[in-house]
Amino acid sequence: MNIDQIKKEFPIFDEKIQNNDLVYLDSANSSQKPKVVVDRINEFYTKQFSNVGRSVHYLAVAATNLYENTRTSVQKYINAKDKNEIVFTKGATEALNLVANTLGQSYLKEGDEVLITELEHHSNYVPWHFLRKSKNIKINFAEINEEGEITLEEIEKKITPKTRLISITHLSNVTGAILPVKEITQLAHSKGIIVVVDGCQGAPHLKLDMQELDCDFYAISCHKMYGPTGLGILYGKKKWLEELPPYQGGGGMINEVKKDRISYGELPNKYEAGTMATAQVIAFDQSIKFLESIGIENVMKHEADLVEYGQELLQRNNSVKLIGNPKNKGGVLSFTIEGVHPHDIATILDEDGVAIRAGHHCCQILHDKLNIPASARASVGIYNTKEDLDQLNQSINNCKKIFNL
Amino acid sequence: MNLKELYQEIILEHGKNPRNLRKTEGFNKDAKGNNPLCGDNVHVYLKLNGQKIVEDASFEGSGCAISMASASIMTDLIKGKNEHEAKEIVEDFLGMIKENPELKSEHLSKDEKTKLMCLSGVKQYPMRVKCATLSWHTMVSAFDEKTEEVKTEN
Repeated sequence: MNIDQIKKEFPIFDEKIQNNDLVYLDSANSSQKPKVVVDRINEFYTKQFSNVGRSVHYLAVAATNLYENTRTSVQKYINAKDKNEIVFTKGATEALNLVANTLGQSYLKEGDEVLITELEHHSNYVPWHFLRKSKNIKINFAEINEEGEITLEEIEKKITPKTRLISITHLSNVTGAILPVKEITQLAHSKGIIVVVDGCQGAPHLKLDMQELDCDFYAISCHKMYGPTGLGILYGKKKWLEELPPYQGGGGMINEVKKDRISYGELPNKYEAGTMATAQVIAFDQSIKFLESIGIENVMKHEADLVEYGQELLQRNNSVKLIGNPKNKGGVLSFTIEGVHPHDIATILDEDGVAIRAGHHCCQILHDKLNIPASARASVGIYNTKEDLDQLNQSINNCKKIFNL
Repeated sequence: MNLKELYQEIILEHGKNPRNLRKTEGFNKDAKGNNPLCGDNVHVYLKLNGQKIVEDASFEGSGCAISMASASIMTDLIKGKNEHEAKEIVEDFLGMIKENPELKSEHLSKDEKTKLMCLSGVKQYPMRVKCATLSWHTMVSAFDEKTEEVKTEN
């Protein structure tokens, strides 16, 4: 696998960012886009545009076919059993809200318990908090260990007879811990508990096999997967998507509308009300093809090498403290520097063209637990190289110099 | 853009050893501020005497060098000013951080102006302006005895 060649497929790396070459280490936030994806959006709007699933004219039929092709590609990519288990949403956030909202309407009852973890992004906590307010459900938190991991044993310990649902991240966007989702799901199912997975960080970096994981729902963010913004995917087992009520009402999701009664459409239309992010869906097919052309095993190998290299580099750097040391770790290096606030780190690194994120990364619960207000985070994607991490380390040294460390 | 302009010695020094980072005993006005984007927070305490003059000002909280230095310098120079003067200084400071090339308030000494101008470097870093202004907005809120937390907006 030739990373230089892969990097060339991303036009942004031809740009100078404030006179610097871009060292993009913010892929956990959002990935850059390969040219094929950008071009596909342009081509669709220029030559093929029509709304989908409604009109019968030529363009509408062609666009509908393209839109549905992506659904099939996603189904194959994540090895879902049925094409109708793939629902397009405006993002992973909407996917998780859809699950919480519809389960809240028809499945969860007052007093039921939902188990999440201290690693969760706000989008896998706030939607459940809504149910805590409206339905009086209880939220329990599985706690991280010293390495920043959530173990199967910890999940088992936190399950009570009232636990009806477990909602967990596949890969932590702060500590990088990869959760044993398959084992957690087996355990949960043996007790009749539903499993929801926030796959925002998992989907771009791990091999996905829904039938093997066996979780009930899996939320994907397309813009972190070398795809367009404004698009997410909810995978849901067919029996759930058929059983649960619709999430939003509007055009496209209905079967028959009368003054005194309404019936809803079949899957997946039932959950795709209104005009969808058509161009993004169609372009996302290129993101899948791009990932397939590299091979997810190669992506995982490359990113694991990078993380190992970066981890060693930063561990050797005095005054840098890495957050979490999970055995099973994805492409995230979160750190603090004693005496320098993460925002100052980010601004100083930015001067060298090194783009990282600083803040709580939408994980305030975790930062409270770690007793730090914020952290700096470098995260990798398929286009990163060891030289990028060398530059990160060098810019960190520059930062220490400015702060007289 | 120039990092040296942003991270001047005086900012680094105030950032490292903030003045008045404590809770004023017997304070009679206070307010909390929060930057929801990054989780930074500040709590400003003021003690006004019978003549409505700030006898003591202090703050608690955590944040970057810019926000700590800004709160440190602010709480230092606001002592001895009355509410009217303090608010005029706040307005002057916010104007300078956003667009004005210099400080105009006659309630600021030359030395105080020099210190505050050290923060003018953030102008070039729009995402960081709120770091510099959070404590100032929070102080106004304390004067006005507002109970809801200040949220930064640029």
